[in-house]
Amino acid sequence: MHSIRTSPLSRQRGNGMADGEANPHSVQAVQYLDDLLNKTLHLHITDGRMFVGQLKCTDNERNIILAMTHEYRQPSQADVKLAAERHEKGGFAGNVKVDMRKRFLGLVVVPGQYIEKMEVEG
Amino acid sequence: MPEDDLADEASHLTIDGDNPNGDDIGFAAKRLAHEARKTLSSGGGSRGIRDVTQEFAAAAKLLQPGQLVKDEYFTLFEAVGALEIMDPKMDSGYVPPGDTLEPDFDVCKGLPAEQVLWIMDELLRLTAVWHDGYPLSQTIFTSLHVDRLLSPDNRPPYHLFYGDTALLVMTTEQRLVHIVLRAYCIALVKSCALVLHTIQSQNFYEEEDFVTHLFGRELLPSTGANDAVKLIDEAVKFLDGADVDKVMRTALLERLQFARTYISLLVSDSADWNTLAAMGRSAETHKLAQPILEAFSDKVQRQLATSTPPRPMIIISWDEALERWKAICADIVEADRLTCFDVCQSPHALHRAIWAFAYREPQPNTFARAYLQTILFASEQITEGMAFFDLMLTDMRDLVLAGDVLVDPHSFLVEIPSDPRHKCSRIVETFMDKAFDEYMNLYRMVCQNRCRIRRTFTQSVAIFDSLETEAMRTDAELDGITPGIVLAGEDGPGNVTLTPLTSWVKYYKLQTMAWTIQLGFETDIYLPHELSMMYWYLMVFARRERKLLEHIERFLAARQKTFVSSRDARQDDEAAASQEWLAVLHKQADFTALLSSALWQVSELLMTLCILQPAKRDYAQEQLLYDVRMKSYLGIAHDPIPTLEEYKSATQSDRSIEDTCNNINGTIADAKSCLAYMKKTTPEQGKYIGTGEQWKREIKQLETTCVAVAVQTSQLRRVADKHGKLLGAPRDQSLKGAVEVSIPPAGSRYHDWWVVPQIREKKT
Repeated sequence: MHSIRTSPLSRQRGNGMADGEANPHSVQAVQYLDDLLNKTLHLHITDGRMFVGQLKCTDNERNIILAMTHEYRQPSQADVKLAAERHEKGGFAGNVKVDMRKRFLGLVVVPGQYIEKMEVEG
Repeated sequence: MPEDDLADEASHLTIDGDNPNGDDIGFAAKRLAHEARKTLSSGGGSRGIRDVTQEFAAAAKLLQPGQLVKDEYFTLFEAVGALEIMDPKMDSGYVPPGDTLEPDFDVCKGLPAEQVLWIMDELLRLTAVWHDGYPLSQTIFTSLHVDRLLSPDNRPPYHLFYGDTALLVMTTEQRLVHIVLRAYCIALVKSCALVLHTIQSQNFYEEEDFVTHLFGRELLPSTGANDAVKLIDEAVKFLDGADVDKVMRTALLERLQFARTYISLLVSDSADWNTLAAMGRSAETHKLAQPILEAFSDKVQRQLATSTPPRPMIIISWDEALERWKAICADIVEADRLTCFDVCQSPHALHRAIWAFAYREPQPNTFARAYLQTILFASEQITEGMAFFDLMLTDMRDLVLAGDVLVDPHSFLVEIPSDPRHKCSRIVETFMDKAFDEYMNLYRMVCQNRCRIRRTFTQSVAIFDSLETEAMRTDAELDGITPGIVLAGEDGPGNVTLTPLTSWVKYYKLQTMAWTIQLGFETDIYLPHELSMMYWYLMVFARRERKLLEHIERFLAARQKTFVSSRDARQDDEAAASQEWLAVLHKQADFTALLSSALWQVSELLMTLCILQPAKRDYAQEQLLYDVRMKSYLGIAHDPIPTLEEYKSATQSDRSIEDTCNNINGTIADAKSCLAYMKKTTPEQGKYIGTGEQWKREIKQLETTCVAVAVQTSQLRRVADKHGKLLGAPRDQSLKGAVEVSIPPAGSRYHDWWVVPQIREKKT
């Protein structure tokens, strides 16, 4: 079991201002983000990995909590070589398709600072 | 829209009713529907992808610091379990700067025999650790050779090399890896699959006992155990003719033979695990192995499907690993012995055998306990000719109805509908159906870990109690067809009947109640100041059991008088055996009542003298604490347990310390004479066939416990005398500060079910 540590989300402090006092732009922003909840996001992060999962929670630092997350990696040179060999051996025509490496992680939190690109499905 | 239909269907996933769990289930269903609706509601239904990086960032910036936008059902409590990406402690896929994703080791390269030997021994070590319950990601999967064989990129027949890069001309060192090591790895992996199958087919507790997670990998599905054995045989053939040092060859052959024997044992039903244990002894050649640490790495976790943080590889010594293997083999061999045909003929002997297995030192691991469960429950019968039904019927016969036509197996074969035996048999069968699950649990649950045995039995108590209602109804129905013997009441006026089924259920209910307390002592759930109360209740339960046994014995004696002398001796033999056994059970209940009485008096004295006290709790209320502690027993409808008030009024705080000590000594003397009786009992009389050693050992432990109680009592008496408090009433005395008491933890007691406080005079 991992020890309790401060998550990016809990590190923030409220400044006492209630939601209702926010300006109309902020209300719109909340609505926009709210509409994205439970949609499937693709997060590309700085080390090249991609995380695909359902959006559950976010904050003003763009920290993202995803559920049912799969982690994707770019295939390595060895992966490409192997796929090409099998493609040739199998006598297939056309381009070689190399799958990204994928594994299931579950519930993850991606700190906003590492997010390079964000896509939504649908 | 199809998506809406699905969401609507999900929202209908409610379970009606006002039961306590109904709210949770209703809530979960609402949440599921909500999430489904949101996920599925895609405008137009196309599965396109939109870049929202800038929009999202802009929107997020407008939130207040600390403000969250979250799904209404998502709790921050859940959020704590989220793995933080890019944090090395939590992110198993994080690659530190300067490091490579994959370990830099070529699994296809040839290795000298010494290193191959080391890898094989390392895998043996890790398999032993896995048996202990550690996940594959920290054990066998850390082998890079195994990782390559199991890689999702690999294809049958699972070579270490991929695709067409087959090494057609291999050196000896390459062959050692691709033929010998590969065969060995495949055999071990298939063995894991077989072990997992055994464990998952039976009762066990995930994470508590064992981790079955495969981390998204499959265990070589296209290869069977027989294929693995063939590969080993080919490897042996190669080694016999290979250019390898003679000593090394022998060592490698030993390892291959071990893997071959291991998988063969797992596949066959009747095989001798002693042969595997014998191999452990020939592991002297381990010294010749040359470590090659690079062949194992925890970096494999970066590619495994895991919802946990990265975890370290497990380290135990080679000798410890060999001990584990020996213990596994010994446990399996013992499991076979304890469930042999003879033992299975007597339900009680079988019962004792399973308890004996559970109490082996060290405790048998999950696989061994699953193996025992497989022997007993995997087929339709306990053993040849003894179906579960027969076991239960024999139990009833042995305990309450020896020699009675009601549970005579022949009665169940009578087909004439008007025959009372036919009518009664159908009624008895119906009752047995109802009691079946909980009765079989008496055997199955003892195969679980200790804490779970106790917890399951606390739940059984309530089930037996409701079964008792059913039994009473059934007894009345049976009595209407074939009236039973009527005797004068045991206490008070009026007559009584045996009510056999009720007595049978009551016996197991009381026995289970006593076990929950005994196991509570063993698993250390009672605080020192609760010892007094728990021992008092144990005494009460044991006394009730004794009274019940007396009731049954009376009716057995009366029944024996009705036997017609011209009938076959079977009836007499059955009744005589039952009589002897009931006498033993009676003595055992007696002993439990006496020893718990003695310990109750000791603990109580310590409390009254202020030597043993609960911590100061300003908000604790006696009744509430009692309700929480006795929760499992409070719901009992038939013969409810004594209340807190009744317990309190049983205290003897106006008796002098001297008198109490004398009373304790007298009680202990009586307890010892019970033990003397049990010592002289034969395995047939006491129904402990197959567990004679354990019987003797336990009696010795109990004798020592009795002596210990007497010693501590005299200790207390001596100190009280010294302070001149021997003759006064304890209520007015206090030996606080003069005496200190320690409670021995489980594992350092003479018998783990009996807690004897250690009394020491404090040096002033």
